[in-house]
Amino acid sequence: MATKPETAGRMPGGMHRGRKEGSRTFRQMWKYKALYLISIPGILYFLIFKYIPLGGSVIAFQDYNIFKGFTGSEWVGFAHFAAMFEHYDFLRILKNTVLIGIYDLVIAFPAPIVLAILLNELRLIVFKRILQTVVYMPHFLSWVVIAGMSVAILSPTTGVLNQFLGFFGIEPLYFLGDNSYIRSVLVGSGMWRDAGYGTILYLAALAGINPELYEAAQMDGANRWKQTLRITLPALIPTIMILFLLHMGKFLDFGFERVWVFLNALNTENGEILDTYIYRAGLLSQQYSYTTAVGIFKSLVGLVLVMVGNYLSKKSTGEGLY
Amino acid sequence: MKKWVSLVLTCVLAVGFLAACTGKDESVKGEDKGNTPAEGKTETANEVTKFSISLRTLNFGHVEKSPDINADKWVKKLEELTNADLDIRLVPHKEYEQKMAQMFATNEIPDVVQGQGGVTGKEMAGSVEAGVFMPLDDLLQQYGPNLLKKIPKDAWNRMTYQGKIYGIPEWLGNPSRRATWIRKDLLDKVGLPVPKTVDEYMDVLRAFKKLGVENPYMGRQDFKYADTFFGAYDVFPYLNQFEEVDGQVQPKFLDAEHMMQALTTYKTMYNEGLIHKEFATINPTTFKNTILAGKAGMWSMNANELIQWETQLKQTVPDAKLEIIPSPTGPDGKGGYYMYGDVARAYFINAKYKQPEKIIRFFDWMLSDEAEKFFTFGVEGETFTMNGDQMDYKQPTDSQAVDEERYRQAFLWLIQDTTYNKGSLSLTEEGKNLMSVFDNILANEGRDGIEFEPRLEALKKNPDITPLSDTPPSVLISHMVKMVYGQEPIENWPKVIEEWKSKGGNDVLKEANEKFQKKEGVFLPRR
Repeated sequence: MATKPETAGRMPGGMHRGRKEGSRTFRQMWKYKALYLISIPGILYFLIFKYIPLGGSVIAFQDYNIFKGFTGSEWVGFAHFAAMFEHYDFLRILKNTVLIGIYDLVIAFPAPIVLAILLNELRLIVFKRILQTVVYMPHFLSWVVIAGMSVAILSPTTGVLNQFLGFFGIEPLYFLGDNSYIRSVLVGSGMWRDAGYGTILYLAALAGINPELYEAAQMDGANRWKQTLRITLPALIPTIMILFLLHMGKFLDFGFERVWVFLNALNTENGEILDTYIYRAGLLSQQYSYTTAVGIFKSLVGLVLVMVGNYLSKKSTGEGLY
Repeated sequence: MKKWVSLVLTCVLAVGFLAACTGKDESVKGEDKGNTPAEGKTETANEVTKFSISLRTLNFGHVEKSPDINADKWVKKLEELTNADLDIRLVPHKEYEQKMAQMFATNEIPDVVQGQGGVTGKEMAGSVEAGVFMPLDDLLQQYGPNLLKKIPKDAWNRMTYQGKIYGIPEWLGNPSRRATWIRKDLLDKVGLPVPKTVDEYMDVLRAFKKLGVENPYMGRQDFKYADTFFGAYDVFPYLNQFEEVDGQVQPKFLDAEHMMQALTTYKTMYNEGLIHKEFATINPTTFKNTILAGKAGMWSMNANELIQWETQLKQTVPDAKLEIIPSPTGPDGKGGYYMYGDVARAYFINAKYKQPEKIIRFFDWMLSDEAEKFFTFGVEGETFTMNGDQMDYKQPTDSQAVDEERYRQAFLWLIQDTTYNKGSLSLTEEGKNLMSVFDNILANEGRDGIEFEPRLEALKKNPDITPLSDTPPSVLISHMVKMVYGQEPIENWPKVIEEWKSKGGNDVLKEANEKFQKKEGVFLPRR
């Protein structure tokens, strides 16, 4: 606050000023009381459903017993974190999580951008609208349904995909029963489900580009490809950056259900990620404290990634989340 | 500054809100407390027994499809007969253990909680030790004469914690439940006798293959209900399958020689196409549907399902004939599946419940003749008619009615000997056959082992090396499946054992032997 250096010298006057300023703040608030009132439900929501439950994370430092509660359980410090890093499977699961995260970032993240640009190039409005609706559709299917469909499509004996590969003389592949395909299946199924829905924000951004820019470019003799490179993409950069940073925050948060439904004995080695491990160890084996520790680790990595990403983004493009 | 003020404001609001909520709750409880002692004992005798109860859905079609189980007509009838008012809270079959733990954690514990197995099982999440439920010894003496008389001692033993009975068990007279099923019509077609040894079994499967049966042996994910040949070699990698070798207690899968023989059998089946190439991704629904579509020759299932499955199978394949045959025998001349616990379901009464004697009476009624008649045959005029002294019970035929009958006989009848339903089986030829299957085939087979209850601490700590009652530990399962698929040599099994030991198995062995020496929580094999 600007008044701070002045108040430091004269105590009584400072206090007076402080009080005065307080009442000014209050007057300011009173003036915008409607806005503050409107914000209360939102603030309450975050407080009750996000911040208060955050306190529950203390069980990561306890030997939590559901009958003793937070207050009665024994404190064990960082023991669960140590156990996590020493666990023989931890590195494998972390590696899976990171690898799947990277694949998702490199392959699935740009998919909506490409799709949005392609959709944007369509000239027939009716066709564009229909296509948009169709690509949004899979987003509303549940993962259980998608897994069921995938089992049918990817089956080595009856699956469509293997029959198609058969035309080229390729032996049937057991996609869901092989460690080497599971990550592709996981990322691919996510892409199929969400790429279409992800175009919404990009399409909105595309609609906001001034058409005069394209006209001018045409006058200068730029073809469509050049226009896309020089006008469309740069105009999308702010949106891409924001979505990218948000994505980074969820880097280790690939999602539990979408992986769980695809796992079986033949592909867990490469398919198991932190989320599914937390479910298995925490909820199925009731090791609440241990898995909370794993969850906290995951969140911390996410936080660091967002902060680093944001810093780099601000440096390079001037865009940032905060 | 601004932020501070709004934060304080919202905090005040939030706290006020919470206080209002809890305050309300307390006042309701207070009323409850005020009411119960005020009423005299004579009055309470005629009063409706009102309690909430959690029940696992157990994959019963009728239960899972029911829009509101409390409005179900059989529940209503049951309430009429027992002068009770039940508030049934269903717990999804698949997420049972997880939902139970959630229930305890959020402290929304019903008046009666259904567990399964024992007092210290995973699903109980340590609630009995924590004093959530009341000891029942005195109440049973006073109000549960039928229960004490009819329920066998083995089952009560499982319900005992520190010398006190904490739950009322629904028991299992014959713990050998799973059986080897065969399509007798196909077996007759290939002209082979009923197989006995593993080799004879393989010959039958090969003959089925030649006949064009798509799945000579029906496989399933993680070998669940597809573990016939692990039983023949007596190497089930399951929870209650410890054995004593040279004075040391160890899990049966440590017997590398026999484990490798069992795996080789499966591998041969896989290579020759006797088991589905995709069995690693076949889920329970596909498993059942494939069989009911007539595309399987042999499989493993619970014997009590025989008549229902045959009825359903005949809708697609009218000539089909199902039979249960003795399971393949291994080198020791024995075979069979893992044996179930003595307790199927168990009921625990919340320590906070005010009139437990009424619940005991409710459960005691379950073992009365009236209850047996009601659950077995339903209600006169609706599901059966009286012809003088003769009862005329119409056995349902379409699958929906079959589901409903099963639900009444097996789900809603909370306490009984769950081996089989004697009353309804005695009515028909098939039923009598099934009873003889239980008494003559299943009673002579089955693999049991040394069991530790409560579970070993070392197992609790390491979920990856811990087997479930009928699934191998996750450390083993991927090796097992890969070996069958030929992605890993079977000779590696001793290495797999070393891996299991290094990942915490050594602690398990140590603890198991200590407890075995001290005879602490050890249950010896029954057969």
